[in-house]
Amino acid sequence: MTPEWTKETALGAKADKVMDVCLLAGEIMLTYGAETYRVEETIERMAEAAGFTNVHCFSTTTGIFLSFEEEKGKGDLMQMVRVDDRMQDLNKVTEVNQVSREFTGGFLTVQEAERRLEEIIEAKIQYPIWLIHIGSGVAGGGFSYLFGGGLFDLIPAFFAAVIASVTLVQIEGYLKVRFASELAAAFAGSTSAIAFVALGLGSSMDQVIIGSLMPLVPGVPLTNAVRDLLSGDLLAGISRGVEALLTSLSIASGVALAVSIFL
Amino acid sequence: MVLLTQLVVTFAAILGFGIILSVPRRALVIGALIGVWTWFVLQVGLMAGLTNVVSTVLASLTAAVIAHIQARRIQIPVTALSIPGILPLVPGSLAYFTMLSFVEGDYLEGLEYGVQTMLQAGAIAAGLVLALSVFSFRKGIGNRYETGKE
Repeated sequence: MTPEWTKETALGAKADKVMDVCLLAGEIMLTYGAETYRVEETIERMAEAAGFTNVHCFSTTTGIFLSFEEEKGKGDLMQMVRVDDRMQDLNKVTEVNQVSREFTGGFLTVQEAERRLEEIIEAKIQYPIWLIHIGSGVAGGGFSYLFGGGLFDLIPAFFAAVIASVTLVQIEGYLKVRFASELAAAFAGSTSAIAFVALGLGSSMDQVIIGSLMPLVPGVPLTNAVRDLLSGDLLAGISRGVEALLTSLSIASGVALAVSIFL
Repeated sequence: MVLLTQLVVTFAAILGFGIILSVPRRALVIGALIGVWTWFVLQVGLMAGLTNVVSTVLASLTAAVIAHIQARRIQIPVTALSIPGILPLVPGSLAYFTMLSFVEGDYLEGLEYGVQTMLQAGAIAAGLVLALSVFSFRKGIGNRYETGKE
């Protein structure tokens, strides 16, 4: 015969586990650039699928709160996580989405879901870092042409964008200050663009500089800010918008610095 | 002919952007194709004599609608497709000239460029909003009156 307390601890342990798994899923999604409403919806669905009632989740850009009722008549559980890093890796968001879909559909147990989420955290970014640099180069070169440069400007813009991207990644590893890496990358990118044009590679200076900066544009926070504001998450929307604005301003100051020194 | 070259360049550029944002592999090419479509709509709108803002709204709206449909089909978050889709519209050039005018001390011109930049960014947002409202039909959130309740 099992004493009453064993059953209670087992239930408490399960609730604790589900809480951890839900918050882990939310933390990954928020860190790697999901919209706030998606984070809240995913967590609520997962907790409800695990059989808990009175599920409430509140999330802003920097933290997640989750509370649910384990059993009718017992006290509610409540926990929060703080999210410090914000990166862009839409693949991880997609994979967490997939895990939550399978968990909600009943194809995964809590333990399996936790293992899958931990694999997602451990996984490296799906494209190697050199491919990301090449990607920025292609994007930068392409946009310099689209914004009115000649076909000949593709090449200097490609190299300037690669330099900007390398600087961004390198500085990010050393400096804890947010936005400093964008400023440095914009400075390095536009300086090299000016240097290339001065050396006779490429003709339209402005377009080459713009091309080298395009890969730094904060596309994810910008789009998410719009989406969050529209779904009524005003707090999260405003903070995302401010993040995007500050990033754009630090890019602008980086270019302004380079332009006023070297031109 | 120029347009064709531009479309090819857009495809490559958005593919590059997809790699920067680490878009899932199965969505990479679809995102780039949506970007190509966006650029095409923008240019056709400008050729037809529409203003920059209106063509941007049209391009962003159609891109977001396609992104929603495709995201449902291959079951990924819609951001992985809509961000590459609207990237060709980002007013990077206008933002740069805003900055340049301010640096050179030409504040009036800077303000003019700045307003244009804001308008174009607003137009992108407007297109996204319109597409979103199409796809959230009958899933309304309470805003002022409880009319949605059955």
